[in-house]
Amino acid sequence: MTRPELEVSDQLGRGLLSTMRSLLVLGQLMTESTGERQILELAVTAVPSLARCRVVSLEPGEPNAPESPVPGSGPVGGPVEVADAAWGWGYPLGSPPGRFGVLVVAADVAPSSEEQFLLRALAQQTGAALANRHLHAQELAAAEELSEVNDRLRGSLGALERSIEIHDRLTAVAVSGEGREGIARAVHELTGLPVAIEDRYGNLKAWAGPHRPDPYPKESSRRRDDLLRRARESNRPIREGGSLIALAHPQGDVLGVISLVDPAGAAGEHDVMALEHGATILAMELARIRSLAESELRVRRDLVDELLNGTEEESALARAAALGYDLQRPHRVVLVEGGRSGVGIDALFQAVRIAARDENVGSLLVARGSQTVLLADREADWEALRQSIIRGLGDVSVRLAVGEQCSSVSDFPRSFRQSRLALQLMRSAEWSDQAVRFDDLGVYRLLVGTEDLGEVERFIQRWIGSLLEYDERRNAELVRTLMHYLQHGGNYVATAGSLIVHRNTLKYRLQRIRQISGLDLSDPEVFFNLQLATRAWQTLRALGGTAGS
Amino acid sequence: MTTIPLALDRPGVAIEQGDHICAFYRGRDQRDDVLLPFLRDGLVQGDKCIAVMDDPDVEQVTNPLSLVVDIESLLLTGQLELMSSDTAYLADGHFSTERMLDFWESNVSQAVRPGGFPFVRSVGEMTWALRDMPGVDQLVRYEARLNRFLPRYPQVILCLYDLEQFTDGRILLEMLKTHPKVLMSGQVLDNPWYVEPEDDPLA
Repeated sequence: MTRPELEVSDQLGRGLLSTMRSLLVLGQLMTESTGERQILELAVTAVPSLARCRVVSLEPGEPNAPESPVPGSGPVGGPVEVADAAWGWGYPLGSPPGRFGVLVVAADVAPSSEEQFLLRALAQQTGAALANRHLHAQELAAAEELSEVNDRLRGSLGALERSIEIHDRLTAVAVSGEGREGIARAVHELTGLPVAIEDRYGNLKAWAGPHRPDPYPKESSRRRDDLLRRARESNRPIREGGSLIALAHPQGDVLGVISLVDPAGAAGEHDVMALEHGATILAMELARIRSLAESELRVRRDLVDELLNGTEEESALARAAALGYDLQRPHRVVLVEGGRSGVGIDALFQAVRIAARDENVGSLLVARGSQTVLLADREADWEALRQSIIRGLGDVSVRLAVGEQCSSVSDFPRSFRQSRLALQLMRSAEWSDQAVRFDDLGVYRLLVGTEDLGEVERFIQRWIGSLLEYDERRNAELVRTLMHYLQHGGNYVATAGSLIVHRNTLKYRLQRIRQISGLDLSDPEVFFNLQLATRAWQTLRALGGTAGS
Repeated sequence: MTTIPLALDRPGVAIEQGDHICAFYRGRDQRDDVLLPFLRDGLVQGDKCIAVMDDPDVEQVTNPLSLVVDIESLLLTGQLELMSSDTAYLADGHFSTERMLDFWESNVSQAVRPGGFPFVRSVGEMTWALRDMPGVDQLVRYEARLNRFLPRYPQVILCLYDLEQFTDGRILLEMLKTHPKVLMSGQVLDNPWYVEPEDDPLA
């Protein structure tokens, strides 16, 4: 090579070196670039500085997308038909697997091989920068996703920890047996809000926190029923007035209500969760209390039933001892039933239970049919007990009969029969509602004790048989009329009053009694025998009424 | 030509007197990686430092330097001058190449007067040019004309371009053409894209 040729070659080499440095700087700038558009604009702007040609198109695309076909093969690209241009070329942006579209350039005259090399290098650099950006974007998205997942996980973990704390706190309350007060206190401590626990009727049973209303407000039963219905229909606590309300209702039976007093609506998700957990623990607690009460009641009822029907002494004593009850004290069987105006079975039972507790008479009792049986372990003022029951029922009258004292378990059936007999006599003799001790029944007690009831029957027939037969045939009330007349010592006014008939009617009936029986009622001997006969008849009726039981 | 070492906390980075450097970076943290060592080294060496930042609270930008130098006394002596782009590039609400060149002329000549500072380091944050304000389209011309001003005084000017703000690749290439040196990825390179002022009919 001649000297001038060497100089030209040297100049060309320096030019190429300088251009390569330009590409290097551009590549670095592309690498630092923030987005795809920035990179592509740099490439497009740089093309005329590197080669005598123009950019026809620079289409970016997803890596190796089929819609970005690359002319030719490999990094060299290939010729492209461009209108109004003698030369057109498509350069792939990058190489597989990171190919990001095609740079298409055109010129009237094909650029030199050095220029084409620079264009190829530019396309390669652009592709590399795009791949880099793509990768970076993917990493960024993955990092963001990871960060979001982490945030969610942190949130879930926080919620879980809070949930565990709530659960632990309330479970501890349930186990410790702190009852409704403990549950209210725990929910208050967990939420910072006042907590009220009410029974299903709206009566306050426990309160924790400040501002306890006094007196505690109570809504109408209709509003209460409506509230409970809405709360039952909702799976979550409901807002009512200034409170969030949840039900304690195992097996659908509402046992109680727990509410967060939150007039400002400040309760968050965790507070609601604490309330729901609190309602669950409350339901367990109330169900436990109810179950205990029911079992004890059942055991007591079974024991009383067996005592009244006759049972083996040792077993009865043992079961009574298990209930904390001393059966070896003297007892009397007390039988209570509604008076003339009648009374509900449950109401009567509750009234007798409370009166027996207040009068300190005993705690073993059972409902039997329309009557309540109490095993009284103390001699009491039975009329005072009856009055206490009447007060408990809201001035509804009752009859009360007391059997003889039982000194052993085997005496209970007898005392029970006696109390039933006394009640029966009270009914059939139409006595006013009162407390009657079998011990005080006088002649009735004598008649009950007579072994030969046939003789008693014959005595009745002798004295009032014709009147009984007349009553039976005519559906009349002559024996009843006579009985009242005798009980009132032959006083017309008192007898008419107790029978609730006019005196003329009474006179007529007594006239008929004299005619049919052929007896002189003014004769003291006759008067006494008729008294005995009517009482004997009542006794037999009472015995007949109790014989089957 | 005097070589002034500029550590920029990275090895192998050096600038020379008369350099007009275009620094590309991404985001505020990377900006501070360039800006703070540039100012710190100048202040420590006794250079006059002028920073025109596109931030009304300019002092907050240089706060981290207070660990190394006494910013307040430097401001009092005038060794450090902090300005916001609103009071420099965009004074009177618009940009003017002539006014800005006068600004540099006045400030730099004053700084290097006899008994003054031996050297001036200026730095300008250029994001103001992206605002829709009158005159900002003169940016390319202004940068080209700075190249004629620079050799006249013992100074260096660093222009800060945030790639997250200057997203238009065409403008970036224009900026490349107007700066003899480029600072990227911690490296100062002779800029092969640079076009001498006499080659540019606009300059």
